[in-house]
Amino acid sequence: MSIEVRGVSKRFGDFVALDDVNVSLPTGQLTALLGPSGGGKSTLLRIIAGLDSADSGTVTIEGTDATHLPPQRRNVGFVFQHYAVFKHMTVAKNVAFGLEIRKRPKAEIKKRVDELLDLVHLGQFAHRLPSQLSGGQRQRMALARALAVEPSVLLLDEPFGALDAKVRKELREWLRRLHDEVPVTTVFVTHDQEEALEVADEIVVVNQGRIEQVGTPDQLYDEPANDFVMGFLGETTTLEGRMVRPHEIELSPVRTAHELDGVVVRLLRVGFEVRLTVLVDRTGEEVQVVTTRAHARALGLDVGDVVHLSPASVLV
Amino acid sequence: MTTLTVRPAPPGPPASGSDHRRPRRARPKRHTLTGGSGLGLGVAMIWFSLLVLIPLAAVVVTAAGGGVGTFVDALTNAQTLAALRLTVGAALVVTVLNMVMGTVIAWVLVRDRFWGKRVIDLVIDIPFALPTIVAGLVLLSLYGPGSPIGVQVNNTRWAVFLALAFVTLPFVVRTVQPVLEEIDTDAEDAAAALGADRFTTFRRVVLPALVPAIFSGAALSFARAISEYGAVVLLSGNLPGRTEVVSVRLFSSIEGGNTAAAAALATVMLLIALLAIVVLDLGQRWVARRG
Repeated sequence: MSIEVRGVSKRFGDFVALDDVNVSLPTGQLTALLGPSGGGKSTLLRIIAGLDSADSGTVTIEGTDATHLPPQRRNVGFVFQHYAVFKHMTVAKNVAFGLEIRKRPKAEIKKRVDELLDLVHLGQFAHRLPSQLSGGQRQRMALARALAVEPSVLLLDEPFGALDAKVRKELREWLRRLHDEVPVTTVFVTHDQEEALEVADEIVVVNQGRIEQVGTPDQLYDEPANDFVMGFLGETTTLEGRMVRPHEIELSPVRTAHELDGVVVRLLRVGFEVRLTVLVDRTGEEVQVVTTRAHARALGLDVGDVVHLSPASVLV
Repeated sequence: MTTLTVRPAPPGPPASGSDHRRPRRARPKRHTLTGGSGLGLGVAMIWFSLLVLIPLAAVVVTAAGGGVGTFVDALTNAQTLAALRLTVGAALVVTVLNMVMGTVIAWVLVRDRFWGKRVIDLVIDIPFALPTIVAGLVLLSLYGPGSPIGVQVNNTRWAVFLALAFVTLPFVVRTVQPVLEEIDTDAEDAAAALGADRFTTFRRVVLPALVPAIFSGAALSFARAISEYGAVVLLSGNLPGRTEVVSVRLFSSIEGGNTAAAAALATVMLLIALLAIVVLDLGQRWVARRG
């Protein structure tokens, strides 16, 4: 295990940011810390980096007890949501910073900076100032800067949070490919479940200072440990008091056993899918159902129609 | 330990349209003033001319009216020369001192938390807000004859330094403070994670961001120091050739009816002030370029 967090707690005044957190993050993997804002995931990342200190507990990085080490001596790369560029330095100078601190020979620094800038596709921007780059380019520069010192772990705090949707999507695909090329242990914080599901090898769900579940994207989606995880990863609705995914509810025109009758009260067509709100007769609850456009057309669904619902898992 | 090797770049950069922005340099076209801004510029120029340009021109004209001789006489006068040397020298020393101390004080006020911080924050402005003659009186009662703390510097050059340092204290503090408040501490965290100790982080990451503010504070401080009269006049004793500053010398020239000499000296001071502004601006650019 590359990073071991044991019994870490952290309070800010009365607010409990982390409550006895235990987690192991494996070497060479891309791990997402996923959870709602204010859930403690950024605090956990900053404690791993040494930028904040825990009230209690230990942090071990690559087998070394790092609990009381300052950030300078933890050999971690850190990437911030708002880039944290050194504004007055050129792109090349930014990337060279960590190497200059380590007093590496000039020629070696130049070679390494050139390599890294090529890696992040900023070779032709070496002599620009960060203010002359777009957000996505700045974040790639920040990534190159963090990678320059060959960190044992790379920590990214909401790295794409400040970017617009399109660049964000491109960058996260690119990060995944970069990680496959440069397999340094990477932990990134996000509140976007889609981002975590798409990019991460493993996801740690953090909520209210506690870890809710650790697992692969598939495990978390298919076997959520609790309602919170289920609700956070993907849409949910309640059917007979149970949490289910709206697209896992079967709609049928003919009534069979286990089924509930209901009336369609709302119908929305969004792209390829159709979203229905069905008022169930027996329980009086409003259930969200998602089906495909083709299926809805085949059933001839419209507002006011009576439909029969059954959770897909019951049919299987 | 995972070692990192840089292999050929992963396929395809994220290349969206917005991702390749040109350096922003919107240069306004010439002669495109709207009616409103034309009026604004006109009012500003009239006001500026009445208050600044015309009086300055008048001083220069008065000085020039006496011919080159007046300048030569004024500048070769030993007493005037001594006053000029003392004033400019003390102003330089005090300004350099302020650049260091002002930055330190601003840092403490922004970054540290301690009891009574808000009071100190308020008190910083007092040297600036006090009528200068009152500042002089305050200094005289503390460092003059019969000093309650046993430090007596009246009628010495220390008195000049002390008075100038007192009245110019707030300038650098007040220019650096807002910049420091706005600085994003993430950059410092980033430097720390990259291995920079606190001093290196300050020198290479924080200080460059403060340089423009430090230099503009220094310009204000120098300008105030070379022009100070009230705070100096009581404590320094105005001993000719020893503790007499330019403003006092100028005043006595006028009292003595020698208007031409006063105007010549005033013109010299005007040039020194201009030179200081230019030098400080160049200095700031030079430091900014060096990073």
